[in-house]
Amino acid sequence: MKNFYIFLAIAIVTTALTVWFVPGVDDFVEVTFQRYLGQAARS
Amino acid sequence: MKIVVRILIVILGLALIPVTAVATAAFKQRFEDGPNRVFSGGPLVSGELFQGPEPDWSFVNEIPTIEMQLEEPATSRRIWVASSAGKLYVWSGYMDTTVGRLWKQWPVQASENGRAVLRIDGTRYERQLNRVQSGPELDGITAVISEKYPSATTRETIESGQVWLFEAAPRSGAGS
Repeated sequence: MKNFYIFLAIAIVTTALTVWFVPGVDDFVEVTFQRYLGQAARS
Repeated sequence: MKIVVRILIVILGLALIPVTAVATAAFKQRFEDGPNRVFSGGPLVSGELFQGPEPDWSFVNEIPTIEMQLEEPATSRRIWVASSAGKLYVWSGYMDTTVGRLWKQWPVQASENGRAVLRIDGTRYERQLNRVQSGPELDGITAVISEKYPSATTRETIESGQVWLFEAAPRSGAGS
């Protein structure tokens, strides 16, 4: 499990940094979120 | 039992990755001059502040979305817009669903303090949002909305509270 926690910590930090700094990634996340949010709101 | 707990930890841990992505994107947008899509943006800063007589709002019926910022809280979002009988309207659907009420907080905030700034085609307009729940104007505005958008907004959905409709009126004291 220790290795999993290390992997998870690295994955979360990498995800946050990628979304914040890599152009277009934040928009991709928002588009994807919008799709699921719309479906959830209609249900 | 121990293996079940471990599996749960792994599932929840992996779920944290997309949650982090969404939270980061939403948080980042708060520092931007306006919204992008669904995440609220920061205050509308750029763009000339409109001064002058009340515009002919019919041009907004050719515009897909506008940006709107409330005075309190000073966050902005992208919303649909329509004009009917010379008046400007914005609205929010899904107000009768749990997800909708969690997602769409601005209508409640606008009911408490309707002072807002709209940015349309790069120009900012100071307006006062007044909720409309009934009245003869509903037939005209719902017809425009239905023609413009794939929306189920009708007189009935507005009167029942499924859709919250606001007239974006001139602020009292503003040039009109």
